[in-house]
Amino acid sequence: MTVMLAEPGIIMLSGICPADDAEVLLRLLLGDADAIVDWCECESAHTAVVQVLIAARRAVKGPPRPGILAAMVEPELKGR
Amino acid sequence: MNEFIEQFLLESRELIEQATDDLLTLEGRPDDKERLDSAFRAFHTLKGAAGIVEFAAMGRALHAAEDVLAEVRAGAEPVTPELISDGLACLDQVVRWLDAMQEGGETPPGADAAADALVRRFNARSKKAVAPSEGGAWSEALAARHPDIRATLAIRYRPDSGAFFRGEDPLAILLQTPGLSGLEIEEPETWPPLGDLDPFVCRLSFLALASCGLDEARSALKAVTNQVEIASLHPAQAAAFGVPATARALMEAQLRLLGVANAEGIAGRKAAAARVAANVMRSLGKSSDADRLERASASGDAGAVAAAIRSILAADAIEGPAEDARTVDVAPAEAAARTLRVDVERIDALVNLTGELLVAKNALGHAAVLAQGGGEAAALAGLLKDQHGVLERLVDQLQRSVLNIRLLPMRYVFQRFPRLVREMVVSLGKPAHLATEGEDTEADKAIVEGLFEPILHVLRNALDHGVETTSVRTAANKPASATITLRAARRADHVVVEIEDDGAGIDLERVRTVAANRGIASADALGAMADEELIDLIFAPGFSTAAQVTSLSGRGVGMDAVRASVDRLGGRVAVESRPGQGALVRFTLPFAVMMTRVLTVEAGGQLFGVPLDGVLETVRVSRADISAIGAARAFVHRARTLPLIDLAEALGEGRRSPLKAQADVVIAVAGGQVGGLEVDRLGERLDVILKPMGGLLAGMPGLSGTTLLGDGRVLIVLDLHEFLQ
Repeated sequence: MTVMLAEPGIIMLSGICPADDAEVLLRLLLGDADAIVDWCECESAHTAVVQVLIAARRAVKGPPRPGILAAMVEPELKGR
Repeated sequence: MNEFIEQFLLESRELIEQATDDLLTLEGRPDDKERLDSAFRAFHTLKGAAGIVEFAAMGRALHAAEDVLAEVRAGAEPVTPELISDGLACLDQVVRWLDAMQEGGETPPGADAAADALVRRFNARSKKAVAPSEGGAWSEALAARHPDIRATLAIRYRPDSGAFFRGEDPLAILLQTPGLSGLEIEEPETWPPLGDLDPFVCRLSFLALASCGLDEARSALKAVTNQVEIASLHPAQAAAFGVPATARALMEAQLRLLGVANAEGIAGRKAAAARVAANVMRSLGKSSDADRLERASASGDAGAVAAAIRSILAADAIEGPAEDARTVDVAPAEAAARTLRVDVERIDALVNLTGELLVAKNALGHAAVLAQGGGEAAALAGLLKDQHGVLERLVDQLQRSVLNIRLLPMRYVFQRFPRLVREMVVSLGKPAHLATEGEDTEADKAIVEGLFEPILHVLRNALDHGVETTSVRTAANKPASATITLRAARRADHVVVEIEDDGAGIDLERVRTVAANRGIASADALGAMADEELIDLIFAPGFSTAAQVTSLSGRGVGMDAVRASVDRLGGRVAVESRPGQGALVRFTLPFAVMMTRVLTVEAGGQLFGVPLDGVLETVRVSRADISAIGAARAFVHRARTLPLIDLAEALGEGRRSPLKAQADVVIAVAGGQVGGLEVDRLGERLDVILKPMGGLLAGMPGLSGTTLLGDGRVLIVLDLHEFLQ
């Protein structure tokens, strides 16, 4: 699984997260109103996943793995 | 070659044919919705096929074409001759790529530059294509927010809400743009409560800066054209983006390096400069320029390298290929297709026959057992005769079925001509159109494929020499646009192909003058010739009536090439001309090439086959009527003097003293030459399937093939051309 509840309160994104992960991520976020998202192991994520992260406005622990996600998307998310 | 690629090539060529046909029809009938849809589908499927074999450049070019067609479908753009030309140019390019792949088995190098050129061409025409909007407030604001980024373009990408459903990943698409930076993600003003959020409805939009050429950005964002806006930040700089500034600086540095007058070490400098310059071009994805530099370095001196660098810097060097794409390559070697698409029904017929043959074989086995057991001879003979009858019928059917497999409709070759005629009309400026009839007429694959070249020559001649200029036509009360009819029909064992024009016909006086001038025949002989014989002279080698050499015909490839090609296929060419009304060239071809009817003859104690196609008649000539002319002999037949060739002697046996008072002579024709072949004895007529000469005998002059006779002897079939030329 590229998105999972790693331990109570921490949702992990790892590897390459496809569009379907958006739904799983949303469900996990709804299930735990205080959970933070850790995407340190994430290499890339579909726009749908990024959209859920933006809409949820949760704390996100980063940066993701070096790559375009870390270089371009993470700074954008952090600024919010 | 990998099977996948083979299939790809096969299907792509069919799709290209379909698309070409559709485009040409569309040009004449711009409102034909069905053809438009069909063309669109063909381009779309081709694009898909390119994707499967991971040929990105081809996909890109076709995508651009498809976009324009989509606009035409939506009524946003009319069908114009230019649009058709662009479409055809795109297909031409694809054909060249396919040819390269067929040879190399891989996607051809340098395809990117050609694809870019095509994409540019289509983008220029596409109204809705992302046009650089000048000075949009958003782009200025975006650039202002990133003062540290030196970018040429600002991009605004607003995916529609269904983007995720369509499988698009907007971020990933956007991030493919070369030199992207300063990404900004815009979210809607309000989000629904998280519990009501549909994660698969896209609500984000994106802003970004990019430092690349407009075309590169357009092609990277091609898939989402209608959702993207691109604004040029520094229009002048973006337009001159053929070579970016840093690259330009590097290239100029190489020029300076080469410009040093001191000749010492110039070879090393040249190699180094060329290598650096080539690497720069390669890093920009312009491998054709890189190749050019390397070639200049390998074959020329420092000056050549410098010149190459200068010309790349001066020109937007990737413009080239699109222009070449307009010229029609008629040449591509016309390699005969090695694969044959066969109707399943024809295979099924073979399977059924195989079953029946097995039954017949078993029945023969039964008869053999009976014979071994000492069965009654008369009954056995009857049984064997029956079995032979069955086998004969089956073998006959099998032969026909196999020959059927090789049958192709004439459409296969005809469909290429509307396109070529269109190009010729454009370059000659004489309006004409091509009508085809009988495209469904079938003939052996080798015949159909072999017809392309001769038909093309005749069409060129008809357009170039036969069809008058518009003013002449109007004065003669003819429609301004000439009609050339290409028709095929089956006549008994032959297939007839006719090319008829409604032009001026053949100018006999002119034929006479030219023939005299070029020494093809003496003035006396010319004066005595009947009209038909005169017309026949246009097939003489070295004859060309073109007053001036045009790009179309008159390049020394005359009608003699046509006769030679048709002869090779075992056919004949005839011309009819009606002055002022037009000319008709008729090819009469055998229906199947595999089956040959031969006449067996005996010469020098051996049996030979003479193709019956070339036999006019057989006669007995009295020795007294044969006269010696120098070392050769001749006789008079039907008021014509014909050379007489002793077949045995011609085949290397010595001439023997004649035994008979009368000579058996086969009067044969090949390549327009008539002559007599003296043989010892005339035999019978046979239908044979010729095996071409192989091994040591391959290429042996005078022999066209062999076949086995019923008694096991080998029959050598002669090639009459060799004897009569």
